[in-house]
Amino acid sequence: MEKRVVLKVEDLKMHYKTKKGYVKAVDGISFELNEGESLGIVGESGCGKTSVSMTILRLLPENAEFKGGHIYFNDGKGPIDLVSLPEDEMRKYRWKGISMIFQAAMNSLNPVYKVGDQIIEAIQNHYPDLSIDEAKKKVAELFELVGLDPKRMEQYPHQYSGGMKQRAIIAMALSCDPKVIIADEPTTALDVIVQDRILKEMKKIQQKLNMSMIYISHDIAVIAEVSDKIAVMYAGKFVEFADSVTIFKRPSHPYTYGLMHAFPSVVGPKTELTTIPGEPPNLLDPPKGCRFAPRCPLATEECWEKEPEYREIEPGHWIACHHPLKVGEVVKFDEQK
Amino acid sequence: MSKSDLILKIENLRKLFPAERRVFGKVNLFVHAVDGVSYEIKRGESLALVGESGCGKTTTGKILVGLYEPTSGRVLIEGEDVTPYLIQNKKRVIEYLKDMYLNKFKKGEIPSSEVDKNMYELYKKLGENESAFINHFMKDRGKKMIDLRKKVQMIFQDPYESLNPRMTIYDIVAEPLNIHNIGTIKEREDRVADLLADVGLTPPDSFLFRFPHELSGGQRQRVAIARALILNPTFVVADEPTSMLDVSIRTGIMKLMMKLADEYDMSYLYITHDLAVARYMANKIAVMYLGKIVEMGDIEEVLHNPLHPYTKALLTAVPVPDPEHKRGEPDIKGSVAKPINPPPRCRFYDRCPLATKECEKLPHPELKEVAPNHWVACYVVAGDVKAK
Ligand SMILES: Nc1ncnc2c1ncn2[C@@H]1O[C@H](COP(=O)(O)OP(=O)(O)OP(=O)(O)O)[C@@H](O)[C@H]1O
Ligand SMILES: Nc1ncnc2c1ncn2[C@@H]1O[C@H](COP(=O)(O)OP(=O)(O)OP(=O)(O)O)[C@@H](O)[C@H]1O
Ligand code: SF4
Ligand SMILES: [Mg+2]
Ligand SMILES: [Mg+2]
Repeated sequence: MEKRVVLKVEDLKMHYKTKKGYVKAVDGISFELNEGESLGIVGESGCGKTSVSMTILRLLPENAEFKGGHIYFNDGKGPIDLVSLPEDEMRKYRWKGISMIFQAAMNSLNPVYKVGDQIIEAIQNHYPDLSIDEAKKKVAELFELVGLDPKRMEQYPHQYSGGMKQRAIIAMALSCDPKVIIADEPTTALDVIVQDRILKEMKKIQQKLNMSMIYISHDIAVIAEVSDKIAVMYAGKFVEFADSVTIFKRPSHPYTYGLMHAFPSVVGPKTELTTIPGEPPNLLDPPKGCRFAPRCPLATEECWEKEPEYREIEPGHWIACHHPLKVGEVVKFDEQK
Repeated sequence: MSKSDLILKIENLRKLFPAERRVFGKVNLFVHAVDGVSYEIKRGESLALVGESGCGKTTTGKILVGLYEPTSGRVLIEGEDVTPYLIQNKKRVIEYLKDMYLNKFKKGEIPSSEVDKNMYELYKKLGENESAFINHFMKDRGKKMIDLRKKVQMIFQDPYESLNPRMTIYDIVAEPLNIHNIGTIKEREDRVADLLADVGLTPPDSFLFRFPHELSGGQRQRVAIARALILNPTFVVADEPTSMLDVSIRTGIMKLMMKLADEYDMSYLYITHDLAVARYMANKIAVMYLGKIVEMGDIEEVLHNPLHPYTKALLTAVPVPDPEHKRGEPDIKGSVAKPINPPPRCRFYDRCPLATKECEKLPHPELKEVAPNHWVACYVVAGDVKAK
């Protein structure tokens, strides 16, 4: 059976207006997400991962300008373009349709209310028929699930550690049984045992509810564990997209290759850390050809001049590069360059 | 060892937070956030502090920069007792001085450690006069507290919380220079620009006059690092400074932090969840569980030969960057650690795969040196009680 596409994003563009010009944070992103599937997005800090999710949820700051594209959401009743919805319609889809675990989450709890009450309120907003006791019970279950003592429902955010706040936020995001959950660095603040447990529980819930997930992380090891497919993002664009085994075993984009080799090991030999020399481009004025060219050891004149097309090089494997790597090809990132 | 070889020494540090009052009954409950922690960091060394979320890592750090008062214990920086300046309340400072020194001196207890001896010298010099001794710590308190702030800086876990949203990046990074009145305006500007470039915010011009909300998570984190380093501190508590950063930038920042440590003779207390990062940033490691250090030592030794069941579980749970790899299950029971009024036995008992009947009755195990430079707090591992 063909899986239903729950989310289809087409040529999405969103720029931030600043005094110095436009920051091109989301600059032509396209992808499809199937029901029950998880997509990992990796990419350098500042490349636009959070901006992509905020654009999808239409939760943008004042200086953000939507520049085009479509966001089709389909929860079984046929695709709807979220871009065209008025705000009060959109609100129905947020949280219950597409829910999000925010990167800034630790700080998004209201300091003057008990943590438990905040989640109960969120549930009751979307399920007005649920009694307080039922909602409480649900929150207690969610607390157990994320490894928080349910007694802590009675505490205030400042009494939580960083990781505990993060776990409360995860519980809140799961509380309305969303179809799609966008998790922006959800376990970055947690120790690996709690992380392991939350990832497993999220996988279970995901399977049980046939929920889809977009998982944003800078940690490629976590991405490897949770994702069916992986998108590698660089400077406002996806540069590679494929199933996770392909991305890890035979990356085609030189940037993907670099990311895979910059990972320090816990017990293996303590080798010199690889860095991708140079800095990510200034999104106010990105290079006109390939945005990775200034840091890419394979860059040729063509790369500096012409932007590579984002194309499907084999079924399900998309890439934007003039010189895709061959299987087994070694790339040397030279510090001196 | 000469006094300046020891950058930091903490002894039996404790911090209890009152927990919520229950609706029924008036029992006083406490979160034992830090519950008798001791370690030292020598010059040229850095210590990685790892452990469960909520085990007390940030609290330990915040005590060292004066954001939380210790409930008890002593903190030495470069051999000097700075505890009187970490306690805000003057009455409590006096209590501390009496408990830690005066009462012992009056009883004629012979001081054994370097600090105690120095304090005793001071006491004699001041004519064995109690109020003169106390006064010594009360005068110039403000200045001494500022000096201490300069020496010890903290990079906070949450870059969203720690950067003032109404200040520009320039003002945030330059603020410590303004407070301590260092350099001319021009020198300050240059120094800030240099440091921004050092932490990878280039070109600095395009960041100087932005506000924190106009930066990505990782970019804010780099601003926080720049701010902490601008006064060239002796000692930096780095609370998850690179956890928001992706690998390629993270390695850059890690290398930068190591280079700065080297150049400026600076040590880190490096708090992290990432054991691989810990390995690069520190040469010693302390593993915490519910307010206690359960394993400590040379980092290569501990990572290659973990002995405490909690450390073992941690290492098994480290994700592997390979989608086809099937990792083992961490051997740990239950899920929720409860720091509110924990029972006096081993803090790990409820979740421990090795726990025996004896473990239930005995108090929490002390750290014991089981191999050179490798301490473990576990009766079974130390061979004090028979394994199951
Ligand atoms: N409100 C804003 N105004 C101007 N620029 C912004 C704003 N928010 C973000 N940016 C810029 O847009 C770019 C993308 O930011 P975004 O937060 O999406 O990055 P990210 O990939 O999530 O990074 P990180 O991994 O560090 O969280 C960055 O260069 C950032 O400086
Ligand atoms: N101001 C406070 N009031 C009451 N309890 C607190 C306060 N700050 C921290 N705690 C409690 O102290 C314990 C330790 O918190 P701490 O922030 O030190 O943990 P941590 O090890 O840094 O965790 P994480 O890795 O999640 O950041 C937790 O149980 C927390 O709930
Ligand atoms: S002392 Fe006992 S309960 Fe504690 S860690 Fe060791 S075996 Fe487990
Ligand atoms: Mg982000
Ligand atoms: Mg913390």
